[in-house]
Amino acid sequence: MAGKIKEMIDLIVRQRADGNPMLERVIKSKLMLKGVNPKKFDSNTPDDPAILQKLERMMHTLK
Amino acid sequence: MKIKSAFSTRDTAQASVSELSGALAPLDPKMVLFFASTKYAPESICQLMQNAFPQAQVIGCSTSGEITSGRMFNNGIAAMAFSAEAIQDLSIQVVEDLHDEKALSGAFAAFEAHFQTPMAALNPAEYVGLLLIDGLAGAEETLIETIGDLTNTIFIGGSAGDDLKFAATHVYANGKSHRHAAILALLKPGVEFTFIKTQSFRDLGKTLEVTKADETRREVIEFNGKPAAAGYAEAVGTTVDKAPESFMRNPVGLFIDGEPYVRSPQQIQGNSILFYCGVVEGMELSLLESTDMIQDTRQAIEQAREELGDISGIINFNCILRTLELTQKNLTADYGKLFADFPTVGFSTYGEQFIGHINQTATMLVFK
Repeated sequence: MAGKIKEMIDLIVRQRADGNPMLERVIKSKLMLKGVNPKKFDSNTPDDPAILQKLERMMHTLK
Repeated sequence: MKIKSAFSTRDTAQASVSELSGALAPLDPKMVLFFASTKYAPESICQLMQNAFPQAQVIGCSTSGEITSGRMFNNGIAAMAFSAEAIQDLSIQVVEDLHDEKALSGAFAAFEAHFQTPMAALNPAEYVGLLLIDGLAGAEETLIETIGDLTNTIFIGGSAGDDLKFAATHVYANGKSHRHAAILALLKPGVEFTFIKTQSFRDLGKTLEVTKADETRREVIEFNGKPAAAGYAEAVGTTVDKAPESFMRNPVGLFIDGEPYVRSPQQIQGNSILFYCGVVEGMELSLLESTDMIQDTRQAIEQAREELGDISGIINFNCILRTLELTQKNLTADYGKLFADFPTVGFSTYGEQFIGHINQTATMLVFK
């Protein structure tokens, strides 16, 4: 399977920033500090369970 | 005046607190922030400070050097008082156990109860968080990342020091001293505010990708598929034996939006390099070289002043490695003078926080 990481990154940024460009930058910075560089993932990137777990934790924590 | 700073270098805690009280109490502060040398006994200094400002919420921590308007100094105490006009509302929570995730949940629940708003819904333009954390617990990354997961509100802060003894650091809240703990203060300022994150480095254009790491130990085992010490030494152009001589001048940084989030090497252990903050597998780090700290900091302050129109106060969390570099270059007086025109409080930290945990950086909260 591929593309799920990009989908989750986009979802996190969309949900949390709500269109605020400053918040989009902050959230992308937080992702990079966790070792997830949003620019490195596209719809063809294989699904890496370790990265997906980090993103799921981030989504879960905010709820 | 909404914000006022003062300092003291008297020999005893009582004399120093008395001096600070004389300078700051007339403001009738709602909050007092202080940073104190470990020459003052922790239990004593925090209790005396709270007693001196009984109407205020008082927080602080131990240091490895202090900063006030116009000067850097050692073996003293620097404090800042905030009027009710400057800080409309605040809540202070202590995270007693840095390794207990539920402790942070409890602090955030208390914030939500106080401000009657979910933390995830707080407007980051109206609220700001301060973080003062034990500088020797090695827990900064986990805490600041979890905070960042829970809220969009920016928390900025520093890791407590202990005058370079590396034995015990302390954080203080409302008359009590804590170890292995963090103080969180959620503020609703009555004035505009902005942030400074300044570091003085340029990108040397050499990438060191972390290909193997032990994140819990802040240890890079491999850079670019090679033993980390050898990979770093090769990038710097030196030998593994001599590589530590380059650590301060040539740390590495994760570039985000054109700015490095600095990770400073601490020591070589075997073939690995231990860092002063977290490194994660997959991170592409850039080799950095130090530049003019005085000029860069002056520029950052000027940008903040242009953004806000005026500055009524600065809280400066300045990395101890920056302070050591300034001391080596005999520039501490020049650095202090950068803050001569503004009420300023700060200290030399064992780590800085802004969105994440970083090194060799000054993170500052600036009030209009």
